[in-house]
Amino acid sequence: MVDPFVIHTVELRKTYDGVEALRGLNLQVPAGSIFGFLGRNGAGKTTAMKVLLGMARPTSGDARVFGLRPASPDEGVDIRRRAAFVSEDKSLYDAMNVDAMIRFTASFFPRWRADLEQRYLRMFELPRHAPVKTLSRGMRTKLALLLALCRGAELLVLDEPSSGLDPASTEQVLQALVAHVADEGMTVFFSSHQIADVDQIADHVAIIDRGRVVVSGALDDLRRDYRRLRLVFDSDAPDAPFGAPGIAHVRRAGRVLTLLTTAGTEQVVDEARALAPASMDILPVTLKEIFLETVAVEE
Amino acid sequence: MFWYKSWLDTRWRFLIAFAVLVCSAILTVLAYPKFLALLPSAMRVNLGGEIGRRVTETIQFERDYRGYIWVQSFRQNLTQLGTLFAELLGTGGLLPSGSKDTALFTMSLPASRNELLGTRAATGLIELGVLAFAPALVFPLLSPAVGQTFSAASAITHGACLFITWAVFFSLALLLSTIVAGVWIPALVAICVAFFLTAVDLVAGGTGRYSIFAVMSGEHYFRTGTLPWVGLVVSAAASAAMLYAAARNFARQDF
Amino acid sequence: MLLLRPNPASGVPIYLQLMEQVKHAVDTGALRPGEQLPGIRPLAEELVINPNTVAKAYRELEHEEVIELRQGAGAFVSAHPRAKKLTDRVRAGQAIVAAAVERLQSRGITDAEIRRLFEAELAGLSKVGGHRG
Repeated sequence: MVDPFVIHTVELRKTYDGVEALRGLNLQVPAGSIFGFLGRNGAGKTTAMKVLLGMARPTSGDARVFGLRPASPDEGVDIRRRAAFVSEDKSLYDAMNVDAMIRFTASFFPRWRADLEQRYLRMFELPRHAPVKTLSRGMRTKLALLLALCRGAELLVLDEPSSGLDPASTEQVLQALVAHVADEGMTVFFSSHQIADVDQIADHVAIIDRGRVVVSGALDDLRRDYRRLRLVFDSDAPDAPFGAPGIAHVRRAGRVLTLLTTAGTEQVVDEARALAPASMDILPVTLKEIFLETVAVEE
Repeated sequence: MFWYKSWLDTRWRFLIAFAVLVCSAILTVLAYPKFLALLPSAMRVNLGGEIGRRVTETIQFERDYRGYIWVQSFRQNLTQLGTLFAELLGTGGLLPSGSKDTALFTMSLPASRNELLGTRAATGLIELGVLAFAPALVFPLLSPAVGQTFSAASAITHGACLFITWAVFFSLALLLSTIVAGVWIPALVAICVAFFLTAVDLVAGGTGRYSIFAVMSGEHYFRTGTLPWVGLVVSAAASAAMLYAAARNFARQDF
Repeated sequence: MLLLRPNPASGVPIYLQLMEQVKHAVDTGALRPGEQLPGIRPLAEELVINPNTVAKAYRELEHEEVIELRQGAGAFVSAHPRAKKLTDRVRAGQAIVAAAVERLQSRGITDAEIRRLFEAELAGLSKVGGHRG
């Protein structure tokens, strides 16, 4: 049975030094998608990526990439042969120059694409003989991306790819990703704080909060299904629990009760009406608002 | 591949060690004429007690060229410096350290943990081998310049003793690097261990039969012409055990 | 280039925005019947959007018979008259909406309120009478 998901985790847990970084993570990344992984700092995005690539071992639960287990030494090597990782700070070997870095990396991948190497060297304007330690953050990001894209990988895992980049460089990076996906048909799994980037190129999204996935699905479905229901009451908003399914978030502030609902607004509307609010508004929601609502600190 | 990377990571330590050890050997040879001139006055020294006994014994050894080389280089300079350099060669770079972590890039490559550690250990041991045999071979090659000879077989044998015992300290530093992050702390701890062993030596009365430093200087071979087999085998076994433990630690490490 | 960058933050799915742009272009004659549309990859790269999204937009446009997808050749504006009928319908709808908006505005209802009224209507809200102005 072939798993249609390139990345598939079930109740994945990871504890580092007594801190629970992942608390039962359930993630499904479809093959060929561009998957955006949103979450606050410290929510567990980087930890999840490290576990998926065999850089850290899970405490419990199941994680599969290409159907292989990253925690197994042999399967882990297999995964890393077919996937590429770019860490958040894109640290590369200071002692080498750009050319040496490329040669070094290429030595691990028999399917190294020399044509792509030429293309990206030109596109990113990377100076071949510049020592890595003299490169700016933007250049290092582009080099790291080149090293990831030229190896013929089926999966690209990127931790904050556009962090620290100016808008022009961000555009270049996103463009390279999009073109590469169109040509080579690979899966991209990236975490980002730039919701605009995710909005622009992702077709699937998951939001992680405190080690768990709180929202996930196709971005178009989220845009279509999520609605904000705002109820204003004459006196303080009631504390009644909502039984209808599909409520992602409830917030009370004085006389205003705000509900974030997914598909199935009808039922929620009925329940809301039963509370006899003074007014009720139904509004579309942006990805940024979904993010802010679902990871807001619970008071 | 990782051989090149390991070389890049250790090359300065290696080159400095090489320069220092080879120069030390060269200087020892070239200083021989001066030493000969001082010998008569040294032989008149008469200290009491254990120290006196040792000093007299040492001077006796140094009356002939081979003894001189053994005392100055193999027992003293190469042993002390070599132990230090072996530890410096083995230390560092195996645990995640701080935010600017190139280890994440290395760990994302399609190589197993054993491959990574194995390459690092093998590169270090090869470098250690060169560090052991190069200065040793200075003696047969350079001694004619001061009108003496030194047997090549002797040099190679001593080189082997140095290599196998230095490997113990190298492996110790490597093992410590899989337990404690950073470059300096594992080295420091390993150096303390070396000091501790030296102190035990002195207290136990001369270089006792079980001292690693005795094996390192090839004392048994020097005195009797037969290799200190037991010491060499135990050293090799200790190195192997520590490298194995290092590999186990590294395989379980989270990055 | 003919097609503009979609706005990801508008709340309207990107593929729908693309579809609207193509239909509008066909409407205004910027895209003529039988003319070829840009390929999926070049368009995705130019607009910096997901190629799957472009593919989805093209598929839906083909379903609505606005364009034709020819195997190996690309996407072409449909010459079929039915496509025209669809845009005629939309244009008629546009006229109705314009009239309604004008009437609402003449009653002093603000644009934001008008938008909310439409949303609520579409969500079936006003049928149950939950809004008080």
